[in-house]
Amino acid sequence: MAEAALSSVAKPAAQGDSRLKVLRRFELGDQAFHILTKTCAVAVLLLLGGVIFSLIHGSIPALEKFGFGFLTSQAWNPVTENFGAAPAIYGTLITSIIALAIAVPLGLGIAVFLTELCPYALRRPIGIAVELLAGIPSIIYGIWGMFVLAPFLQEHVQPAIIAIFANVPLLNQLFSGPPYGIGIATAGLILSIMILPLISSISRDVFETVPTVLKESAFGIGCTRWEVIRNIVAPYTGVGLVGGIMLALGRALGETMAVTFVIGNAHKIAPSILGPGTTISATIANEFTEADGAIYTSSLITLGLLLFIITFIVLSISRLLLMRIESQGAR
Amino acid sequence: MTNALSQEAPASRDKLAEKMSVRNLDFFYGETRALKSVSVPLYANQATAFIGPSGCGKSTLLRVLNRMYDLYPRQRAEGEVLLDGENILNPKQDINALRARVGMVFQKPTPFPMSIYDNIAFGVRLYEKLGKADMDERVEKALRGAAIWDEVKDKLNASGLSLSGGQQQRLCIARTVAIQPEVILFDEPCSALDPISTAKVEELIDEMRRDYTIAIVTHNMQQAVRVSQYTAFMYLGEMVEFDDTDKIFTAPKERRTQDYITGRFG
Repeated sequence: MAEAALSSVAKPAAQGDSRLKVLRRFELGDQAFHILTKTCAVAVLLLLGGVIFSLIHGSIPALEKFGFGFLTSQAWNPVTENFGAAPAIYGTLITSIIALAIAVPLGLGIAVFLTELCPYALRRPIGIAVELLAGIPSIIYGIWGMFVLAPFLQEHVQPAIIAIFANVPLLNQLFSGPPYGIGIATAGLILSIMILPLISSISRDVFETVPTVLKESAFGIGCTRWEVIRNIVAPYTGVGLVGGIMLALGRALGETMAVTFVIGNAHKIAPSILGPGTTISATIANEFTEADGAIYTSSLITLGLLLFIITFIVLSISRLLLMRIESQGAR
Repeated sequence: MTNALSQEAPASRDKLAEKMSVRNLDFFYGETRALKSVSVPLYANQATAFIGPSGCGKSTLLRVLNRMYDLYPRQRAEGEVLLDGENILNPKQDINALRARVGMVFQKPTPFPMSIYDNIAFGVRLYEKLGKADMDERVEKALRGAAIWDEVKDKLNASGLSLSGGQQQRLCIARTVAIQPEVILFDEPCSALDPISTAKVEELIDEMRRDYTIAIVTHNMQQAVRVSQYTAFMYLGEMVEFDDTDKIFTAPKERRTQDYITGRFG
């Protein structure tokens, strides 16, 4: 702009005038564009605010009736209109924890292999295969889990697990009861498959932020691959990895369809993880159509609000940690 | 700071032992031939400078000497590189052991993401189990050897990243020295440093010659004159001329060398 203004001074007056006009026209366009994009950005904030508002508004009747007892109550009785969120919260957290326990080691293994060890020819095919896993719609995981995985677990895996731990104190509580096939453990397993691609692709990206020279200088003092991964890559990327894992956790917490199929939908907290349970999102998906009373509907909306709060916290932490690794890479 | 550092007259060449010898080395990045039948000696306890325009293969040559290229697929070397008479290109060569004997300092300072103390101790722990007192001693010796002890002795637990660029580079030199290598390769070690840090590092390299055999890649011809006894001029993957540093810069035999050092191309 400044340059254009300077050069117009040097030119004959008539030419300078037309130039100014053109510039003014551009300025108008600039402003319009600015306003347009700003509106789009503000719209997102408004939407978010609207969602929060309607969740809070909808949950007021239930909260007025049950108070904070809603969080701890195990009741779920549509006839007497007595509801509690404890089983759903418990199920949501425990399935996600199981999913992380399985998917984190596997995902990190995949990422380390892809970035540090894999022959170049295999890198792309494996990377693409992992990302295709992420593209499969969750309903397909649900169907597969219900008709293939659950019967398989019921016949071959769960009886064996129950037998193995039958005489181990504490663990026999955790793995007890009849092998249903469907239940908390199966839901966790399905979830782990669903978040595996997320974890492996994020940790691969994070691993790639380690500068090559840093790795080379570790190799240069005679480190083996394992020593480089353990002592250089891992501490350098630690924060970012945790961020990636939290992102996957956020996904697992909110996942609905696949879980609804295989979790069994029982509103109780069973000591055994092989038993059926429920999650917040599975409860909402299953029961919204049948919720007739005002309190029933409001209770489901309150569940939604709880899920919103939990995932919001988890995702904020994840973003914060991922931002830290990015600024580290820029340094 | 001119020639005073290095130029006692270089010992006559036939009396010197060849610590490393590169013989008819070809190097390929995929199909591209980056080094063409290169032969050059590295004399024991002497500093050899590699000069030449960008892309002439100096850094590539350095990366062959500790087989850093092994990390990458589609890169291969043919020919012989002898270290104390043994061919290190032999596939049976233990690469980690080789890299402990042939250390490397990079263009950009690369402190590990850990404390100053651990930056040094980390490499030592790979090879030796030392008690606390012995390790402390070794760390101090390495830091003194890299002329940085006085600057960091009060903050050994601070992160290596908290140091200035010149200090970081000397920390990296200390790290390399700590594992007691025999040969040290410098890949443009001063190109990211200010003149004062550069002077310190150059002085250090010159002193280190007593204990180590040194190879240094540099774009700065004054630097080659200051720190090296021998200079190799490379051009387009070929070894054009190798001679005493004095001779290369005062009376080169080859026309191309003459053109390069007088700045007519490159």
